[in-house]
Formats: sequence, structure tokens, C-alpha cells
Amino acid sequence: MSDRYIPVQWNANKWLYDGVLLIACAAYILVFLRLGAPAADLTRPVDGAILRMRAFGSCAFFMLSVILCIGPLARLDRRFLPLLYNRRHFGVITALVALTHAVYVLNWYYAFSPTDPMVALLGANTSYGQILGFPFETLGIVALLILAVLAATSHDFWLSFLGPPLWKALHLLIYLAYGCVVAHVALGYLQDSKNPAFALLFGLSALAVAGLHLAAWAKAPRKSRGSGEWIAVAAPHEIADGRAKILPMPDGKRAAVFRDGDRIGALSNACAHQNGPLGEGRVIDGCVTCPWHGFQYRLEDGCSPPPFTEKVPTYNLRLRDGVIEIATKPNAPGTPATPLQIAEAAHV
Amino acid sequence: MSDREAPFFIGWAAMPPGLRWFMGGIALGLILFLAGIAYVTAATQDDPGQGAFVGRANATGILQAEPYPILHVTESADFALGSALLLTGGGKRGVQGRAAGLDGALVAVSGARIARGDIAALQLRGGEAGLKALEQAAITPPAVQDLGRWRISGEICDGKCYAGAMRPGRGLAHKACANLCLIGGIPPVLVATDKIDGTEFFLLAGPDGGPVTDQILDHVGLLIELEGQVQRHGGMAVLRLDPETLKVIP
Repeated sequence: MSDRYIPVQWNANKWLYDGVLLIACAAYILVFLRLGAPAADLTRPVDGAILRMRAFGSCAFFMLSVILCIGPLARLDRRFLPLLYNRRHFGVITALVALTHAVYVLNWYYAFSPTDPMVALLGANTSYGQILGFPFETLGIVALLILAVLAATSHDFWLSFLGPPLWKALHLLIYLAYGCVVAHVALGYLQDSKNPAFALLFGLSALAVAGLHLAAWAKAPRKSRGSGEWIAVAAPHEIADGRAKILPMPDGKRAAVFRDGDRIGALSNACAHQNGPLGEGRVIDGCVTCPWHGFQYRLEDGCSPPPFTEKVPTYNLRLRDGVIEIATKPNAPGTPATPLQIAEAAHV
Repeated sequence: MSDREAPFFIGWAAMPPGLRWFMGGIALGLILFLAGIAYVTAATQDDPGQGAFVGRANATGILQAEPYPILHVTESADFALGSALLLTGGGKRGVQGRAAGLDGALVAVSGARIARGDIAALQLRGGEAGLKALEQAAITPPAVQDLGRWRISGEICDGKCYAGAMRPGRGLAHKACANLCLIGGIPPVLVATDKIDGTEFFLLAGPDGGPVTDQILDHVGLLIELEGQVQRHGGMAVLRLDPETLKVIP
């Protein structure tokens, strides 16, 4: 959380996160170039530039696959939530690795020609009407442009400037970028590779991304329980202390009903920061704490504690026949909604 | 442990003790995972073959300008007599301009030799040091032997990269580079899946024996099938392809 913008709000967790990422990335490149390539059974070595473009290109693909696995993994098992915390740095490093791949391609395959490299990049192969031989480089360019835009707009300044819904919609383009990368590899390098090892790793990575997203999607509640002014939530004791129950609402949004000891309150499930799932967070010191980046909101009014200014919508609650009911219409962000007081002994 | 006491990570706070080992394992696992797949990916790369630049070379011979400049060697310490060389300029440049007006002439050439099996190319040095006409009358070009019409499968490559200027210098990942070479004037060759008259490399020409670059660009780097008239021009097999018969083999 922040009440002002600085380039990076470094803390111990971010240093550690970025350190591990850089070590992993360096390990990939060094092992590829220094250990793997010399071990290949080749009559003559692959050109150095081609070797490096393969190293950086494949590294970017596997890093992007890991990035896309983090979200659903954290949904399926909360122990993976720390991986979400600094995921944007993961994305920026991946964009730089992909850019390095592109620079090697441009300075090798598109160099040494009377044609300008940028003109050649778009004009050397124009067989757009066929699948085999399709200019797969164009798919790589689209993916790289998306990664560059996402990296450039990853800072909270852009999140605030664009607003969370637009910012999140923009950053969902990562899936288009991944699709382009998969097609880029499948229509390019994979067509030439006779050894099945890379094809296997490539396929398993793409399948892991798709499979984990499907599993997380299957787990998420989607259907609203009613459409009147109030809908039933649960008995108070069915909500774990400090946790929430997430409900799909008739308007398509989600509410999160939290229990904090003997208090029960309801907020929008979408964090004001990056629309993170507040309902998967925890109530700490009376504040709902987002599992993604630790943004906090008071249970009674959805406002961040001073000096912070973020607000989320609240929901009115009532108790009927021992069952919590929630108003289907949300209150404006930051509107006080008195939490229900539950006699602890009667419900735990 | 109650749910309230279960470890919960907050980025700006210290890592909960209950998550430290788990996250440590994830970090180590990520490093080992990426290092492992890097090794497998690099160690299982396909062999690009033996093609390479193999030093300076000189030759004297008869220049044939069409469909693309080649040299029929008549005298050389570096090449077999009667062999034929693809002639190229530096980078992705052909030597059509330099060869213009020298068709059938006796010339001396010098440059960087590129060789891969039976295919040989020479990247000419600049100016007359690389290509110079020799004064000699009554040169007899090699006879053209017609080997009939054939249906052939294989891959169209640019002769320079395939010969060894790049490793690998063929395939779909190399297609745009090959197209760029061909557009620049590098001679195209068909690398056939089966030999015809003992050769698997064919210099491509149009039905009229002239250049054919524009008609083949969509089919470069792919396994294709085509039909055409096969001829032997001295030491070079030339395929006068019928562009209408070009098709990709799925």
C-alpha cells in the first residue's frame, strides 16, 4: 500500500523474489549455452547467434508459462500466494528476455542484407495465406509488443491512471500474448525440430497453463443463489474466523462476507488496487487484507486505514432464522455498513 | 492449527515462519526446473550438418550467368576440375550485377569457400580481386545434358546458407532469412529427398532457364513437391521447374 508513487517500493520480500528470478534466469541461459549446447551431438556447432536466440527465446517461453501458472496455483492452494506478490517484476524480466531474443533474431536473420532489417522483418516472408510457412515472426512481434506494453504499464501509476478495470483488461492481453507465443513456436522452431524433447517440454508447459486455469475455473463459484433484494449466505459458524465466503451476485460481481470474531461484514470481492480477490484474504487487526499485495480495508466501511485512501463497496447484511443474508445491491465505495454482531459462544 | 493461525503472507510484512520452507523449496525448484529444461532443450538440438566457411579459395573457369551466376571450374588448386560453384556476394547479396556481360567468359574468381558435401559456393571478394575477366578467345562452355522431366520432393533453400554460411541454414525457422537471401540474388537450390543421376542438389531455374525467385518464395523452407526438366550443365544439376506444379507436402 502506498500514499504516493515511487519507482519501486523495495522490501525484503521483493529483493528475495527478484534475486531468485535473476538467478533462475541466469541459470537457464548459462546452462543452455555452457553445458547443454556443448553436450549436443553435432557435426559442427550451431551458429553462436542462433544458439543465443534459441536460449533467450525458449527461456522467455518457459518463464511466461510459469508466470501464467502462478494465478491458478494460488487459487487452488493458498501457500502459492506469495508468488503473486511480485509477479509484475517476473513479467518485466520476461519481457526483457524476450526482447533479447528478438534482437538476436533481427541482428542475424535480418542482417547482412541490402534490405533494411525492419523492412525485411515484415516483408521477407508474406505467406499469410498458408499454415505451413506462415510468417510466424509476426506472431512473435505481436507477443513482444504486448509484453512491452504490459511491462511499461505495470507500475501502480498506470493502475491509478487507467483505473483497475481498464488496467486489468489491458493486462489480460497476456493471454493473447501467450497464445501468439505458442503459435510462434509451433509454426516456427517446432516444425524444424526432429528431436521430440523440446516438443514434449513445450506441449507439457502449454498444457500445464491450460489445465491449471481450467481447474481454478472449476473451483470458483459462478452462479448467484438468487435475484431478490436479499440472498442467503450461510450460518455464521460456517464462515471460518478471519476468513470469508465468496458469493456471486446477481449483477455478475462478487461479494466477500467476512467473519472477524463475533463481527460479520461484507465487502466487494475486488480489491481497489488490482481487483485482487479480497475474499481469499484474511482479516488482520480488524482490516480485510488482500492476498495479492496486502492492501487493507476496514470491515465496517471498506476504507483503507489512514493515510491510505483506497475504498471498496460494502454490502448490508442481516440475520434471518440463523442465516446471514446479504443485500444484492452494493453500497458506494467507503459507505459504512455496520457489521452484524454474533454471540461468539452461540456459533463457534 | 485454527484457520486464524494458518500462515498468511503479506508482502510488506515478514514472511510467516510456516511458509519459509515452502517458499524456499519453490525458489530452489524454480531454479533447478529452469536449469534442467535448459539443458535438455540445448542438448537435444538437431545437427545442422557439416556445412561451413572453409577458408580462402581461387579458381579459373567459365562463368554462366543464367539462371544464377555459377562458375564451371577449369583450373584451381582448391576445387576439382569440372566442378561447378555457386557464386555469391557478401551477406545476402548475389553477384548478378558483376556477372552481367560475362556470360560464357573465362574468369578468375577468389573469395571465401563455403562447402557442404557435394555443394560448393564461393563468396566473392570485392572488385576485380574477386571476379576478373580473362582475355582468351574460343571458350567452349560445358555441354548441356537433358535428363528428362521429373517429379521431385525436397526443400527449396538459399544456396549460400544451406552450403554452410549459416548453421542451420534450412528449415522453417530459417525461411524468412532464406527468402531475404533469395530476394538479394543468392541462387536457390532444391535439396531433394532422393538422388537423381547421383545428385541431391539442383540449382533452380524457371521454365525458360532464367531466374525463378519470385515464383518460389512461398514454398521456401518447406517439404514440397514439384515437377520440371532436369539438366546437367557440366558439374551443376539444374532443374527448370514448372511453378504450376509446386505444392506443399502436408
